[in-house]
Amino acid sequence: MNTSDIYREEIIDHSKHPRNFGKIAQPDLHHKEKNPLCGDEIELFVKLDSHKKVKAVAFDGAGCVISKASASLFTEAIKGKSINELEQLSAKDVLEYLGLSELTPTRQKCATLVLETLKRGLKNYQQKTK
Amino acid sequence: MFKEIKKDFPIFKRKINGQKLVYLDNAATTQKPQIVIDTLKDFYEHHNANIHRGIYRLSEEATELYETAREKVRKFIEAKETEEIIFTRGTTESINLVAYAWGRQNIEKGDEIIVTEMEHHSNLVPWQVLAKEKEATLKFIPIDNEGHLQITGLDSLLSKKTKLLALTHVSNVLGVVNPLKEIITKAHSNGTRVLVDGAQAVPYLPVDVSELDCDFYAFSGHKMLGPTGIGVLYGKKELLEAMPPFMSGGDMIEEVTKERTTWNDLPAKFEAGTMPIAQAVGLGAAIDYLNDVGLENIWQHEQTIITYALEKIKAVPGIKIYGPLEPKDKGGILSFNIGEIHPHDLASIFDEAGVAIRAGHHCAQVLLNRLGTQATARASFYLYNDQADVDKLVEVINKAKELLP
Repeated sequence: MNTSDIYREEIIDHSKHPRNFGKIAQPDLHHKEKNPLCGDEIELFVKLDSHKKVKAVAFDGAGCVISKASASLFTEAIKGKSINELEQLSAKDVLEYLGLSELTPTRQKCATLVLETLKRGLKNYQQKTK
Repeated sequence: MFKEIKKDFPIFKRKINGQKLVYLDNAATTQKPQIVIDTLKDFYEHHNANIHRGIYRLSEEATELYETAREKVRKFIEAKETEEIIFTRGTTESINLVAYAWGRQNIEKGDEIIVTEMEHHSNLVPWQVLAKEKEATLKFIPIDNEGHLQITGLDSLLSKKTKLLALTHVSNVLGVVNPLKEIITKAHSNGTRVLVDGAQAVPYLPVDVSELDCDFYAFSGHKMLGPTGIGVLYGKKELLEAMPPFMSGGDMIEEVTKERTTWNDLPAKFEAGTMPIAQAVGLGAAIDYLNDVGLENIWQHEQTIITYALEKIKAVPGIKIYGPLEPKDKGGILSFNIGEIHPHDLASIFDEAGVAIRAGHHCAQVLLNRLGTQATARASFYLYNDQADVDKLVEVINKAKELLP
């Protein structure tokens, strides 16, 4: 993919004006993850409803266009999803939310940082509620 | 002279995304001239055998080639004796060797080790680990806002307890060349030993370890046109002789019984197991090549390129340059950010244009914190880079600004 596909208007818009950007008080699921390659950081907050579905989600942190846009689109996409559905999410889904068919391996790490954050957070959540 | 140099490096025939390769990540590793590639091939095709032990023709040839490479290294950095040159896997291993072998023997509880704020993790983490283990203290020489070491405060940092000062010759982020001579003289008059990380200096600065009078000097082959997997530790003979081995095994022993072992003489004491023989020979070929071009000429070339690059890049609106803005005392390393553009995004746009730059923390997180940024883009130049490469750099920066307004 060339960079004009990657850096198209929608992605730039999501990175400049990320949706669900901020924090949520007393989240059910909360985790912070760092990409050691570049120091990018994402902190994810998820609030569940009585059916254990995503009621509200927010993220905080600094990063490149791809990691920010990805977190913005990802958090939009997971609203209403059940824990089970969240567990099934993969890198493929992340790329689909971004509307990209592929990324180089290093840049894919930027895109999937939000997914990794969610996965670690889910693990902690399940251990806590076991 | 430098106009024709790219032709010696076969990789420049390669196209990246349909474009000519512009390689500007030389602080990470350098490309290899044909002569180094041929030397590796020739070694494996004609002289391959293990060294020092075999009583047969091939082994004797391999030993001869390996030891000749050691002598080339000695001469290149002006060490007094050949056995002061220890082959390692690279700078990181060289520094770890000193941290383990010298450090564990000489650093005691309450002692102090001085490093600088601009160290690469490879010359910081080993000392952090050692200090923690020995309950010693790690102190930092600060930098000023332009990235120069603030050595006026060095006298007050040095105390009776300061056993070691470990610092880099040239910063891998700022390109600053540190005033080693002055620092080493101060440290020595305090009875403090000095280790120098020369990974970024040896490729283009004429280095004379005898004149510098440093106690240890570490560098890597692959950053100076040589193969990966080979590096050098220079150490003063009396220090190396007094040190216990770092790794133990074959070739580093004198005599082994079931109960005890006595160590081999220098340099074998520190070269346990089968060494990267072909790579050492390849490093020798790289040194020959650098000598042919001439280190003084290479340094002049670096100065020409960095002067041109600074001038060009300073004119870009929104640019933030880390490190000195003047080429004086600066190697061919340029770290920068543009507006709010994240360096990773920048590197992707560069890649598409066939330009290889580095983006990230450059294994120097303490320094980047001091500079107040998480990451920078970094272009680093070597003898095959020219003004056209700098022009391309600036052209792509402008393209990135259009793509990521």
